Amino acid sequence: MINPNMSSIIGSPPSVSGLSEQQIIDMVMSAQPSGTLPASGTTQTNTIADTLGGILGGIGGFLGSTGGQQALGTGAGALLAQQAYQRLGDIGERARREASQIARQGLEQTEFKPFTVTTATGGMMGVGPEGGTTMTVSPEEAALQQQLLGGAGQFYGQAQQPMDAREQAVFERMRAAMRPEEERQRLALEERLAAQGRLGVSSAAYGGATPEMLAMATAQEEARNRAMLTAMQQAQAEQAQQAQLGGQFLSAGYVPQAQLTAAAQPAMTTAQLAQRGQLEGAGMFGEAEMSGIEALLSSGITQANLMGQIGTGLLQQALQPTYVSGAGGGTTGGTGGGGGGGVLGTGKSMSEFLDDVIGLDPSGGGLFNIFKL
Amino acid sequence: MAQQLQSINLVAPAFKGVNTEDSPLAQDPSFAEIADNAVIDKRGRIAARKGHTVLTTNKTQLGTGSIRSIKEFRDDSGNTKIFSVGNNKILSGTTTLANETPGSYTITADNWKMVTFNEKLYFFQRGLEPLVYDNASNAVATLSSVSGANGMTSAKYGNEVLAAFGRLWTADFSTDKSTIYWSDLLQGHVWTGGSSGNIDISTVWPDGYDEIVALAAHNDKLIIFGKHSIVVYTGATSPASMTLEDTISGVGCVDRDTVQYTGTDVLFLSHTGLKSFGRTIQEKSMPISSLSGNITKDIIAALQNETEFFRSVYSPEEGFYLLTFTGQNVTYCFDVRGTLENGSYRTTRWPSTGFTAYTRLENGDLQIGTTNGISKYEGFKDNNLGYRFRYYSPSLTFGDSSRIKILKKLKPTLVGANNATVFMKWAYDFDTTYATTEFTVGNQITGFYGESEYTTVEFTGGQLTNQRSLNTTGYGTSVQVGLESEIDGSPLSLQEINVMALIGKLL
Repeated sequence: MINPNMSSIIGSPPSVSGLSEQQIIDMVMSAQPSGTLPASGTTQTNTIADTLGGILGGIGGFLGSTGGQQALGTGAGALLAQQAYQRLGDIGERARREASQIARQGLEQTEFKPFTVTTATGGMMGVGPEGGTTMTVSPEEAALQQQLLGGAGQFYGQAQQPMDAREQAVFERMRAAMRPEEERQRLALEERLAAQGRLGVSSAAYGGATPEMLAMATAQEEARNRAMLTAMQQAQAEQAQQAQLGGQFLSAGYVPQAQLTAAAQPAMTTAQLAQRGQLEGAGMFGEAEMSGIEALLSSGITQANLMGQIGTGLLQQALQPTYVSGAGGGTTGGTGGGGGGGVLGTGKSMSEFLDDVIGLDPSGGGLFNIFKL
Repeated sequence: MAQQLQSINLVAPAFKGVNTEDSPLAQDPSFAEIADNAVIDKRGRIAARKGHTVLTTNKTQLGTGSIRSIKEFRDDSGNTKIFSVGNNKILSGTTTLANETPGSYTITADNWKMVTFNEKLYFFQRGLEPLVYDNASNAVATLSSVSGANGMTSAKYGNEVLAAFGRLWTADFSTDKSTIYWSDLLQGHVWTGGSSGNIDISTVWPDGYDEIVALAAHNDKLIIFGKHSIVVYTGATSPASMTLEDTISGVGCVDRDTVQYTGTDVLFLSHTGLKSFGRTIQEKSMPISSLSGNITKDIIAALQNETEFFRSVYSPEEGFYLLTFTGQNVTYCFDVRGTLENGSYRTTRWPSTGFTAYTRLENGDLQIGTTNGISKYEGFKDNNLGYRFRYYSPSLTFGDSSRIKILKKLKPTLVGANNATVFMKWAYDFDTTYATTEFTVGNQITGFYGESEYTTVEFTGGQLTNQRSLNTTGYGTSVQVGLESEIDGSPLSLQEINVMALIGKLL
């Protein structure tokens, strides 16, 4: 279970190679002394110091009362343990910070590089930093595209025209083509009938005309009917053709764009290669950086462990039962610790003593400065 | 010293008929200046025509009118009936004229044309609904009342009707003068639907415009007579497909009732005289010859003066074509047995006959319509009355017009003329005042052995002839000789006239 206090301290560092978050947490937890930690994370250092101060104060008192050496050993050991603990936390924090920095650098290094492809016909395709693609064909291609798309619209529009109007139009054109010949035939028949003196013939058996006139009228009517049917078929064929042409124009209208896209494909590959190298470089950079951080972490952990072991050793040695002379020692010590004699007769409180002697303050020049990272 | 008489023999005088076209002095003596009530007999002589015997005994329905048309109805069952028109009525019968006019049908004119077609008799006249008669109904009815009748509208009330090519054809309407309607096949009462139809020949006239007067069918051709032109169609058995074969301009037909078929020709009266189509098979053309070339001016004058009807008839039995101008009461008789050198028929004239209608019956009888009803062309009396036969020669110069001729004798040779009084006339130098001498022909009744020998008549040979010698007077450079006789029951033929004259000095 993650300690919520630790979680608040550690935060959520980016996942980088090297120590994982859990590893750091485990490492810190393994280094944490048993006992109850302060509830508030924001005042943890002071609280711990106060606690440790209390403890050391007790120890000082104890040393002052019964044996200072033991008390000093105990205090130093505890202090070292506390410092090791603190050290491990700082190491984690630093690792998270460094990893975040590496991550930001990785983001910067792997950031997409916009690029533009220009074709031989003047078309351009630009890929923006956000990945947005902008394609621009050349003016000639744009005009052609406009023409083709306009044509497609026109063809589709024509394909959607009512059939009867087109049938009538085709029929009229066919009739217009047929009419001169019909007129010639009519005139020829008229001349023939006139030569035969039959212009005025009207026979009920032939619809009020002559057999020739009826035959011609029948033939013309049949031709008219055929023209009508042909016009219907033609209109249907034209409709299909218009639709087909519309499709062809529509397809052709996108050819410049497709060609631009096709022309951009090699550039895309090139960009991918470049990005791949970029990614690999960033990966290698990250891994190298993380390796350094891991090494630093490892050394820091080792230092902390060493400090902890020293502290542990001091504590163990100090807490071993030994005889101490002087009855008032304990009292002196205790008193001194609490009433004016100071720790080990230095006239300083326990915390001041530890700061000066042991060097808990990292900026100071105490004992712990030898472990300064 | 007395001069010898010179004989000028006029053999078969006037056997070429009347000639009023050529100069009298230059004329062949075979022509006649006048030949009234004459025909050319079977021996080529000029002779008196036959008279007519009135068959009608009851002409109440005719009243004071005259018969204007006669037609014999015959059907395949042998039923016959004589129809005639007059007094604005349809009449039937010959002895008693019965009124056959349909009830509530008003007739305003008698210019009917009747044709027999497919067991029916049709009556057509301009502006009046056609009538029809058949033996089954034994009544004349309007065409529209016939069962199945269709399409006969007032626009088709034609004045001319022709039964030919299995149809009825009608033309010459009140307002439409260029359209011909034809009926359905074999159905004279169906004028619409079927194979009926019409043709407007207003664009066919060779002279641009004309009016249809008559129709005729001849040699498988439909002949359309205009007033001044003629149009000929072939293939009229299928009217819708018939085609124009020939057009003739300048010659037309005066009246539908002048058209007569002679078997080989179609005779008709044009504005310039009697014409005929000469039948020419190989050339496929139709030359027209003038048949009245010797009396052209007379015909034209008669045409111009005519105010009533034209009537004509062709009688192969008599060998003539009669053409009557009813308004002028004159009939021209054309002998159709042959033509003269100039292509004309030999022509005589029948004045004041009162003939107003003709028809030739199936048996060859020639029936004549008059105010007395229906007559038969027979005998030598006109309704029991005599009529005057007249012959006048052209002016004769005897070959030398510069010398005076002094007639001494006339010796006519007559055939027949039983008990007839004959007047011989002569005049000099175109004078119209004739000197006359007369004689009476004796009994010319022939008596045959075993029949009348020693009984009522003297035994004779066949045709009796009578030759007389008549003294004449006067003189002149040209002489015209005439002969007149009242024909009253006996035929008369003029065989020859022998003129005896002295040739005098030169003038």
